[in-house]
Amino acid sequence: MLDKIKSNFNTQTWVLIPIAIAINIAVGQIVLLLKLPVFLDSIGTVLVAVLCGPWAGALTGALSNVIWGVAIDPGALPWWPVAFFIGYMAGRMAEWGFFKSWWKVVVTGFVIALTAAIVSTPIAVYLFGGITASGSSFITAYLLQTGQGIWQAVVSTSFLTEPVDKITTAMIAFAIILGLPKRTIGGYPKAANAEAEGADKNQLYIAIGVVVLLVLFAAFLLRNILGG
Amino acid sequence: MHERLSFHIKRDSAIHRLNPLTKLTLVLTLILLAFLTPWYWTPHILAVIFIPILSVIGKVAKEYFTTALKLILPAATFLFIMQAVFQPIGEEIIFHFYFLDVTQESLMFAFRNAMRIIVMVSAFTLFLLTTHPSELMSDLTRRGLPGQFAYVMISTLQILPQMQAKAQTIISAQRSRGLDTESTFLKRAGSIFPLVGPLVFGSLAEVEERAIAIEARGFTSKQVKTSFHEIPDSSNDKILRWSLLFLILVSIVLNLWHS
Repeated sequence: MLDKIKSNFNTQTWVLIPIAIAINIAVGQIVLLLKLPVFLDSIGTVLVAVLCGPWAGALTGALSNVIWGVAIDPGALPWWPVAFFIGYMAGRMAEWGFFKSWWKVVVTGFVIALTAAIVSTPIAVYLFGGITASGSSFITAYLLQTGQGIWQAVVSTSFLTEPVDKITTAMIAFAIILGLPKRTIGGYPKAANAEAEGADKNQLYIAIGVVVLLVLFAAFLLRNILGG
Repeated sequence: MHERLSFHIKRDSAIHRLNPLTKLTLVLTLILLAFLTPWYWTPHILAVIFIPILSVIGKVAKEYFTTALKLILPAATFLFIMQAVFQPIGEEIIFHFYFLDVTQESLMFAFRNAMRIIVMVSAFTLFLLTTHPSELMSDLTRRGLPGQFAYVMISTLQILPQMQAKAQTIISAQRSRGLDTESTFLKRAGSIFPLVGPLVFGSLAEVEERAIAIEARGFTSKQVKTSFHEIPDSSNDKILRWSLLFLILVSIVLNLWHS
């Protein structure tokens, strides 16, 4: 176990982590400026997770929230476990070979989104009573008023908002890795996880097909949560 | 060169002179007390009376209140309103608005939650105002924190302002070349790549050089490193730390006993 964790970290990893945290925050702020309905504040975390491994990704996520919390917006602090598991899950998926082509990256994004939804729910419920300071709480509030239980309301809100954000994050991270020269990637511990199998047009069409399937799947899950 | 991201204000006060670990314990204690003690008014007293007094003792009252008014209060007010309006608890309705009811219970609940957040944030603000980040890190490294963690924390604080400045430059440069960052949704979404691309590729190019540079300075060396700057840790610090830990324990016991 300890050896596995250690295998994620070489000097390049330690240098990449601060840069990745800064990327998380800087890109998050650019997206805020563009007024897009996503956060995209974990691109750096996903990059580290894919290139260096799940534990390095988890550390990057957690530290990124801590630093965001103490330096910019203290409200980000309690959410560090979510970022931790986003990094961990992204790294695991990459180890299983799910970061090599567009449609696999979409699946990875979806899995990350489910993980984030599951981990953030208890924090939102226990710490904030379900209503947090983020805009998506309007949906939660609406569901609560229509008579849903608090857990169902919070989980379904996350199901509605997370996948778009996390799939986009994963795809941007993949685009960045595709754009990096091989020589730059070679020095990281898990460089092999990021070797693209093929990134032609056909792959992109498959990816779009997978997105549609996942949206249908999410809608199905959501109906079950709300119905049950 | 850009300024390192730090709120630290160099003054000489009782709080500045405390060991960084003692201050960290104090912050943790304040937060845990606010969240754990069963008594309804604990977070309120900590936020309104106790922490402001600490800021006066630490001679950073002016800076503390500026931050509180500019950052903490707006965030807490927003959370308070969201919770007061949207929490579906309580029977006694004070007023309602379409499908939203504000009840006495939801008001009380929201008030306490907002105060807890204020305690959490203002305790951290006070800590950051009175502690230099490198001082904290060298103290923790001396106590056994791996040097790599200290490197990550300190260099993030250094890189972040540089990165934000770089992002500003890229945004201005792309705008002056006609990039659309303000019109329709699709155009704004499309301009993510020209903005994020240069920023990320530019910073990732530096990684290898930096890695070689710090490796040449013995970054992964297992030898114990000596420190030029000694950080005092008096017996008062130790006593204070133990009593704070005791206080945390008491609040946990009270919490468990009460529920």
